[in-house]
Amino acid sequence: MALLELKHTDISYGKRLIVKDCNLTMNQGEIVSIVGESGSGKTTVIRAVLGLLPGGGKVTNGDILFEGETLLNKSKDEWRKLRGTDISMIFQDSGAMMNPTRKVGDAFVEYILTHEKISRKDAWDKGVEMLERMRLPDGNNIMRSYPFQLSGGMRQRVGIAMGMTYQPKLLLADEPTSALDVTTQAQIIRQFMELRDEYGTSIIIVTHNLGVAAYMADYLIVMKNGVIEDQGDRDHMLHQSDNAYTKKLLDAVPSLGGTRYV
Amino acid sequence: MFDEKDMILEAKHITRKFPAAGGRTLVACNDINLKMYKGKTLGLVGESGCGKSTFMRFLVALDTPTEGEIIYKGRDITKLKGEELRQNRQNIQMVFQDPSGSFNPKMKIRDIICEPLLNFKRIKKSEVDKVAREYLEMVDLPGDFADRYPHNMSGGQRQRIAIARAIALEPEIIVMDEATCALDVSVQKTIIELIVNLQKKKNITIGFIAHDLGLIQSFAHQIAVMYLGNIVEILPAEDIDKHAMHPYTKALLGAVFDLNMDFSKKIESIDSEAPSPLDAPAGCPFCDRCDRCMPICKEKRASLITVEEGHEVACHLYTKEA
Repeated sequence: MALLELKHTDISYGKRLIVKDCNLTMNQGEIVSIVGESGSGKTTVIRAVLGLLPGGGKVTNGDILFEGETLLNKSKDEWRKLRGTDISMIFQDSGAMMNPTRKVGDAFVEYILTHEKISRKDAWDKGVEMLERMRLPDGNNIMRSYPFQLSGGMRQRVGIAMGMTYQPKLLLADEPTSALDVTTQAQIIRQFMELRDEYGTSIIIVTHNLGVAAYMADYLIVMKNGVIEDQGDRDHMLHQSDNAYTKKLLDAVPSLGGTRYV
Repeated sequence: MFDEKDMILEAKHITRKFPAAGGRTLVACNDINLKMYKGKTLGLVGESGCGKSTFMRFLVALDTPTEGEIIYKGRDITKLKGEELRQNRQNIQMVFQDPSGSFNPKMKIRDIICEPLLNFKRIKKSEVDKVAREYLEMVDLPGDFADRYPHNMSGGQRQRIAIARAIALEPEIIVMDEATCALDVSVQKTIIELIVNLQKKKNITIGFIAHDLGLIQSFAHQIAVMYLGNIVEILPAEDIDKHAMHPYTKALLGAVFDLNMDFSKKIESIDSEAPSPLDAPAGCPFCDRCDRCMPICKEKRASLITVEEGHEVACHLYTKEA
């Protein structure tokens, strides 16, 4: 059984149809990259998977199946059990998703206690352990910091640590590295790859950086104006795709030793 | 590759210090020496907070260095004042990262493009419409855009307007601060092509700030790599991946994701992040993160030495005494 399946999914904000006829099947341990320009609907798709469409957003047609079960008529309680345990999400700036007036540790402990009946002390230790596993040195110190005291790369690692606490089957990442420096970006990407290798986590990554998308993906999806313009295995997409838009996008990526304009 | 007689701007020993909390001093630029050549592009690369924007702002006199001088047309432009400074602005113009933030939202495109020309009395008010259309066409936009407001345009179109405004005064030098990083890659490509075409047509010198080596090497002539306020390497942009010598430049190259790379290759990137410029190490600024750090690196800062024509590197691995 496929881990996640989107079947002819249409997503609308109010009366405006934003994403049309989206089809996707992914299995455990696979990494899917969704690329496209701003406004192509790529974030809308992964938000729909997690039931997090902003005001007025709705799946108007088709179905979204997670392990064979539809996600479309889940109650609040069912969502609460699913989110953060089986499906997690990492945002562009994990610092912005945290309450700026509370320390990282408070938020982390509260998150763990929502999902598990353990003591605060154990929850704290679990948080520290997760932070250190994500290569953040001195987890206790991080837990005692406010989000603004951490650098962008560290905040993103905290986000990944939180998202990975319950070893979700599916990790959704929305532009997880766009706000980071290139060397930090490389470190975070490496971390994502290790998650897949160690835990068999499936990942959907939404990005506009085609280099990153291609490096990570088993399967690439190109979106344009709310429609899946082209999709396929990475090698197929990079070398054999006949789609004009895919070719145009690939051609626009600057590469070392590639086209020079001067 | 670069002829000394084509050199039009030279920055000498530029240092900029900012006062920081607790009586400490933040050194944003430390003894920067750079040369810019007629009709060539200088790419300035580095991570956030390395001082690359601080340096470029000196060229357009948005800030003045604590020490050092910038020689342009035989004069130190950091000391210019009043009318002289105003006149000099015609020669060096700037394009900012976020074009929507650098336009007055209440002005029409026509007035945005022509404002500098009117300020310097190059054209009459009656000519505004005609001239605006000319410049719009020069940046491959329809002339009718003259009637629009900035918010009616896409990011790529706005960036073209910013370029049109910058070239309106026919400057010799244009400084571009991450001018394409807010854009989609397909749009980015068209903007780069536009910049390169304009450069060839008008023989403009460009100072381009970027954090993406993959992008900058595709259209720059020379690249300066900055780290924590220091220039660590200056090298020709062509075949940068083969010539790079400084461990930091190599680390930056290792962090480039492009489509021709070997996808099975493990990512080789340095761990850890750049320290705050307030706590820069005493010796080589990169010594804490460098995998080839030697004892001397922790004590003494290496100065730039020339390894071949147009290629300088500041690293003890390549100094003879070490």
